[in-house]
Amino acid sequence: MDFFLNQLLNALLLGGIYALIAVGYTLVYGIVKLVNFAHGEVYMIGAFLGVVAISSLGLPFWAGLALAVLGCGLLGLLIEYLAYRPMRQAPRLAALITAVGVSLFLQNLAMLVWGSEPRAFPALAPSGEEHFFQRAILGGRDGAGAVFIPGKFVFIWSITLALMLLLDWTVQRTTIGKAMRACSLDKGAAALMGIDVNRVISFTFVLGAAMAAVAGVSYGLYIGSQIGFRMGVYPGVIAFSAAVLGGIGNLRGAFLGGVIMGLVEVGARAYLCPWLEISGGYSVAFAFAILIGVILVRPTGILGSSAVDRS
Amino acid sequence: MKSSRTFLGLAALAALAALPLSLWAAEPIRLGVAGPFTGSGAMYGVMIRNAATLALEEANAAGGIGGRPIEAEYGDDEGKNDKAVTVAKKFATDQRICMVIGHFNSTCSLAGKPIYRDAEVVQFSPGSTNIHVCEGSDYTFRNLYRDDYQGAFMADYIKKTLGLERVAVFFDNDDYGKGLKDAFVARAQAIGLQVVTVQDYVREKTSDFAPLLDLARNAQAQAIFISGLYAEAGTIVKQAREKGIRTQFLGGDGVFGPGFTEIGGEAANGTLITTPFLFGPSSSEAAKSFAKRFKERFGREPDTWAALTYDAVTMALDGIRAVGTDRNDLRDWMAGHTSREKGFKGITGVTYFDHNGDCLKPVMVAVVEGGRFVPAPKQME
Repeated sequence: MDFFLNQLLNALLLGGIYALIAVGYTLVYGIVKLVNFAHGEVYMIGAFLGVVAISSLGLPFWAGLALAVLGCGLLGLLIEYLAYRPMRQAPRLAALITAVGVSLFLQNLAMLVWGSEPRAFPALAPSGEEHFFQRAILGGRDGAGAVFIPGKFVFIWSITLALMLLLDWTVQRTTIGKAMRACSLDKGAAALMGIDVNRVISFTFVLGAAMAAVAGVSYGLYIGSQIGFRMGVYPGVIAFSAAVLGGIGNLRGAFLGGVIMGLVEVGARAYLCPWLEISGGYSVAFAFAILIGVILVRPTGILGSSAVDRS
Repeated sequence: MKSSRTFLGLAALAALAALPLSLWAAEPIRLGVAGPFTGSGAMYGVMIRNAATLALEEANAAGGIGGRPIEAEYGDDEGKNDKAVTVAKKFATDQRICMVIGHFNSTCSLAGKPIYRDAEVVQFSPGSTNIHVCEGSDYTFRNLYRDDYQGAFMADYIKKTLGLERVAVFFDNDDYGKGLKDAFVARAQAIGLQVVTVQDYVREKTSDFAPLLDLARNAQAQAIFISGLYAEAGTIVKQAREKGIRTQFLGGDGVFGPGFTEIGGEAANGTLITTPFLFGPSSSEAAKSFAKRFKERFGREPDTWAALTYDAVTMALDGIRAVGTDRNDLRDWMAGHTSREKGFKGITGVTYFDHNGDCLKPVMVAVVEGGRFVPAPKQME
């Protein structure tokens, strides 16, 4: 039982981080119908900004996180303005290739600025945050038979859930959220209703990038190392898959998709692979198998609208 | 004043230039020394070059061999197999070179092997551990263990020296990690050490090791053997500590490096790893003396690879003293070191070979203490 609970905690944590990245894909896709392949790199730069703020500038964790969110928000704004806005009337394939280009550009930029060796997440002030993050909220210290929840698990879940609720509320209940939904349905009509479409699109990119920054810093805190210029590629692919699984363009779907990807990946590693007596490395393959299965049955994803794509 | 100083300088230069000629009228004996002197492995190359330089300077200061000085010809393979081929061809065709010390990287030793074999010249590696390096050539030797040997050794060490019964294995899914893991598991099964779970991971893709660690904890592993490189190993011990897992961690020489302690931090302490040799308080007098001379000459501490290179060069010089500079005589002399009693006693221990040219030297175990690798208190005989 304790094994199950421990692995469930691992899965939910991983899933929560996938979900935070996935909402960035889904928000942008929902409004401009673009798969933003540079999103994984925004996540990577968020992690780096957090690490640099904490280790080089000596800021406390919260300030590092805030700096990463601001920095990535600005980056999201710039990416949209410089790279995607000029391509908005271009064929979708051209925009997609631009996104791949931005992704490669950001990876190489990060390599030039921060080097090619992966970094460790800095140690935090031992009495303050480090104490909170390391302390066992629940559970014993050693061996089997203990469910172990360090403070950082609680922190990452709380912030993930809080952000998801806030985001959902923003999209469903606020004026800018209504404008986002309007743009998603029909940008031309939205503009005729007096909505500043450019402003809405910029806002969407900033929102997605800020979520990616939180995911990046959280993941750095959780993993403790391997902050490198290529760290965004793999979670980016998984999170994109999660967004598709949940129904791309649907916010709650992205969250659900992220959690499912985490559950399947960890569940396969913990139960399925040992039972089938195959290598645990196949666990990710099961996550993708679920994705393919769902898409075959429901091409729009679990919570995706069944409306035919008009473009 | 100025002119007289210039004159004195010139005279001194002339004297210096004349000195070797007058002392060494005889033709020098030449050794080839191959290694990664530039490129990403250059830090290994510096150690190799310095150790070889020291060995030759000491031999020459003692009068050389049979009145002849010994010189080294350095070949830079940059740690790449194509460059290694170029170096090997140069050494092989230069008949004045009686033996080659090198290469360092396994891939370079493997690339040079057929060339040295065809030219009938010994290649003697102080750094290559891939299991295939010495296969299929009578002219290839090394003075450190093979990857499968360190894997088997670790299994023995866990069972016999540490007295543990249940071990989990995490391995990097590449040639090094898989080879080391296979050797470890095979030996563990042979000696009755229970391997409770074997989990693979992919470098640069797997970064969340929590599910693997919980599998090991659930299987009640008393030790976790990491068959991979330092970056992932550092991440694993760090995450284990945060999950309250205080199992004994062990690793192969891929974990041996400052990167491990930088990433792992506090959690790295207590990890046991295998290494061919390590300087420490329990080193022999000869090793301590070498470390002191090396530091005096180059201003820095020697490392494992410097010690192995020094042993390789001094062993080659012993051979030249015994049988002269004929390439085949030297090969036969090397191959004659078939047992511990007949072995060459160097600073890293006794070097002797099996029929392949693989070295049967014991493995040393190092432990991380206060962020540094030091010899472990419990070594296996």
